[in-house]
Amino acid sequence: QDITLRATANSNENDEDYDGSVVFKNYVEAASNGAIEVEIFMGTQLCSNGAECLQGVADGSIDVYISTSGGASGLFPYVQVLDLPYVMADDRVAEAVLSGDFTRTMRDMALSDSGDAIRLMTIGNTGGWRNFANTQRRIAQPSDIEGLKIRTVVADLPQELVRALGASPTPIPWPELFTSLQTGVVEGTKNGITDIMSMKFPDAGLQYVTLDGHAYMGALWWMSNQRFQELPDDMKRVVVDGFYQLQQATFASPKRKSIQAYEDFVAGGGDLYVPTPDEKAAFAEAAQPVYEWFTANVEGGQEIYDALTSAVAEAETDLETARAADME
Amino acid sequence: MLGPLGRLNAALCTAGRAIGVVAIAVMVAVTLLQVVMRYVFNNALPWPDEAARFCMLWMTGLMAPTALRHGGFVAIDSLLMALPVRLSAFLSLILLSIAMLVLVMGLTIGWAEVNGLGGRFDTASLYLPTSWGLDSWYRIPRSWMMLSLVVGFAMLILVNLELMIRAFMGLIGAADRLPMVRNPVLGSAE
Amino acid sequence: MLVLFLPVFLFFLMVGLPVFFGLLFAPGILLWLNGQERDITLLYRNLYNGMDSFPLMAIPFFMLAGELMNRGGITLRLVEFSQALMGHFRGGLAHVNILSSMLFAGLSGSAVADTSALGSMLIPAMEKQGYTRRFAAAITAASSVIGPIIPPSGIMIIYAYVMGESVAALFLAGIVPGILVGLGLMVLVKLMADRYDFPVASRRHTWAERGQASLKAFFPLMTPVIILGGILTGVFTPTEAAAVAVAYALIIGIFVLRTLKISELGDVLSKAGITSAVVLLLVGAAMSFKTVVSLSHAPELLADFILTLTENPLLLLFLINLLLFAVGMFLDAGPAIIILGPILGPVFTSLGVDSVHFAIIMCVNLTVGLATPPMGLVLFVAASVSGEKVETISKAILPFLAVEIFVIMLITFVPEISMTIPRLTGFAD
Ligand code: NA
Ligand code: NA
Repeated sequence: QDITLRATANSNENDEDYDGSVVFKNYVEAASNGAIEVEIFMGTQLCSNGAECLQGVADGSIDVYISTSGGASGLFPYVQVLDLPYVMADDRVAEAVLSGDFTRTMRDMALSDSGDAIRLMTIGNTGGWRNFANTQRRIAQPSDIEGLKIRTVVADLPQELVRALGASPTPIPWPELFTSLQTGVVEGTKNGITDIMSMKFPDAGLQYVTLDGHAYMGALWWMSNQRFQELPDDMKRVVVDGFYQLQQATFASPKRKSIQAYEDFVAGGGDLYVPTPDEKAAFAEAAQPVYEWFTANVEGGQEIYDALTSAVAEAETDLETARAADME
Repeated sequence: MLGPLGRLNAALCTAGRAIGVVAIAVMVAVTLLQVVMRYVFNNALPWPDEAARFCMLWMTGLMAPTALRHGGFVAIDSLLMALPVRLSAFLSLILLSIAMLVLVMGLTIGWAEVNGLGGRFDTASLYLPTSWGLDSWYRIPRSWMMLSLVVGFAMLILVNLELMIRAFMGLIGAADRLPMVRNPVLGSAE
Repeated sequence: MLVLFLPVFLFFLMVGLPVFFGLLFAPGILLWLNGQERDITLLYRNLYNGMDSFPLMAIPFFMLAGELMNRGGITLRLVEFSQALMGHFRGGLAHVNILSSMLFAGLSGSAVADTSALGSMLIPAMEKQGYTRRFAAAITAASSVIGPIIPPSGIMIIYAYVMGESVAALFLAGIVPGILVGLGLMVLVKLMADRYDFPVASRRHTWAERGQASLKAFFPLMTPVIILGGILTGVFTPTEAAAVAVAYALIIGIFVLRTLKISELGDVLSKAGITSAVVLLLVGAAMSFKTVVSLSHAPELLADFILTLTENPLLLLFLINLLLFAVGMFLDAGPAIIILGPILGPVFTSLGVDSVHFAIIMCVNLTVGLATPPMGLVLFVAASVSGEKVETISKAILPFLAVEIFVIMLITFVPEISMTIPRLTGFAD
């Protein structure tokens, strides 16, 4: 082969990121007829956080990297728009939005911010939706969460959200979270069910999960722009299509994986609560200060927020039309 | 040649230790503050973790040169002890040259990293007030933290140079004319 | 090609290149020869990022706490307490030496600190009572290895960080093995005391006197209770526990016992800072080294090779103990763990050995290596504290080492010794 692409993700082989990487590798190697080889490095062998890995992408030691919004927010603060609660209603809306021009808008913003070094290739999913989970009680309405110590990553937006709901955001590194839940250093967390189960958090007492789906766990797939631009056009096409395949795979993977995770959670005695539409509206109402905070304080916040909300509106209209047609 | 360099290194190391002492005190203080805030006020702060790491990195960069200067870097020195004086000085010189290569590479890469994209990332939670009224804040970039190791490498290079000159003097049999380095007691992690 | 990093590294290590430079130079030069210049940047990045860690901060904190306790005259109170309990036995001061080490271990994570603190006090005292200086130095060195086995422990923090284990689990797993080492040494002292007619240290203390000694030692003895209790009940993380230990040592040193002067603080902070700086650089370099270890597929190759020797995990554990013991003779525990952990850990966990159990085997074995001739670090410290020659202490320590090797084998083949407490408390499965 002529080209070797080195792809890395900081998660392990049980993660959706790995599923996406494998699909990408398989598609690109086959479609390029072996002209492109993809090497996958899972974990932290090459780099261990967003800052390091994106620097690697920029200087050419890494070709492809997947970050969460938190991982890239130190450089591109507006990617936190994906963490804004209750903007996208469900998978169908989210998938339509992320497959469209919204992602291209974000790509342009990141390219111009990184001096044309880092290219956003696609946005997939990693772990489904974030939900509130805790060790103390069922959370059915915003008042139930008041006073709880909720673990967040050290990023502004999730902390603002937790604060807006009257709880206390507590930054704890991911590897220390199990012990911290077990011993009560924190009482809750906001994660997808697959992460909750793969980290065995129920064993640490995390028995209450509320499916409020407050944030879409977007996976941002980055590539070195120079590396991409150096490819001949036919290979660019293969790579772009490869990322499409990858995106589809990561959309699907958590849906399949979460079935077992939910079953295991309930079988272990866990309390799984689905809030009613009214309760969900109450959560959205309580989270209102976060939107104001985001558009006022985050660089590029207004621009990306407008892009997202108009994309959501468009997607919802299209989906209604499609649904109506399908129901005839 | 050795005199001015030795005095420079002594001064830099003393300054490094002084800042390091403050840094380690701050590390303890903010970590305790976090425990108190979480338990007494049920209000964990976002910044102590990162502030403490900031101090730890600077403590490391600024205090490691003292350790190198006083032979505090862990090494198996039985061969160096067993060899005759001149041969030992020769081997030292080779080893110090390797160390120099590592340090110079480190400084080069480190400087590029500080000025690269990774340095432009914001720290997650560290701000500096930019007005007396505390109403405007500057978000500290990651490069301020990354600079710690670069400064450390630069100081280590100066110290290593001094050690190389010493080894060279030993090689030509002039070791007895060297000024002494005062030896502070170093501890151990084991 | 890249797999050569280990022999290249070992060569430079043996000729005297400091471990820190060796960990970066050996992989760096191979990457360069391999035409992988872009990966040399990864070495630097992992060095920096390897040090940028909150859990690692427990190392400077515990080091600082131990140093403060020592200056605060706390060591003396522990010795007096031990004497009140065991001084009247035949071989009393030898027992006191061991018990003090076990108690000191609850405050400090370092065998070197233990040897110098207790040695400078107990070796002259033992000589005065008619023990030979070499015996006194040997028992001091041998018992000091308990320091990093009973929590807190510097090397366990390093192992947990480099290998992604829970610090709390390792701390809890070290308690019983540490006590076993102490008891083993006491049994040997008892046998020797009867045979060689060792002196008793003091008359039997009355219970009132014992109560008084306990009262004086109460504050220092509370340290491990606060550290472990705090971690177990979730009041704080291990790193925060270490900071609390620093505050506690300061408060009892300055206000309660009034043996620590504020003017000494700068010195104590400086010493702890310099030592931690070296350790942190080493840990960072180890993370870089680990990158190349995984790029080279060395653990897989090594696992294949080891499995051609035998597939019996028990025999393998025995062999690995021999290897660790040999390494421990020449290399200090911290660097040895940093180098060997990432290579050996995955091999044994893939063979079904519990990762916490393996961590304890490795930590205890390499810690005993600190007291093993010819290069054991605490032997040198014991020599400088006592004024006895290293060679002489090396001979006198052999029977104690035999006991410690026996304990290592027990720990290796009876996993329950280490695993029961972490399992009961839910910190290991
Ligand atoms: Na200890
Ligand atoms: Na002792």
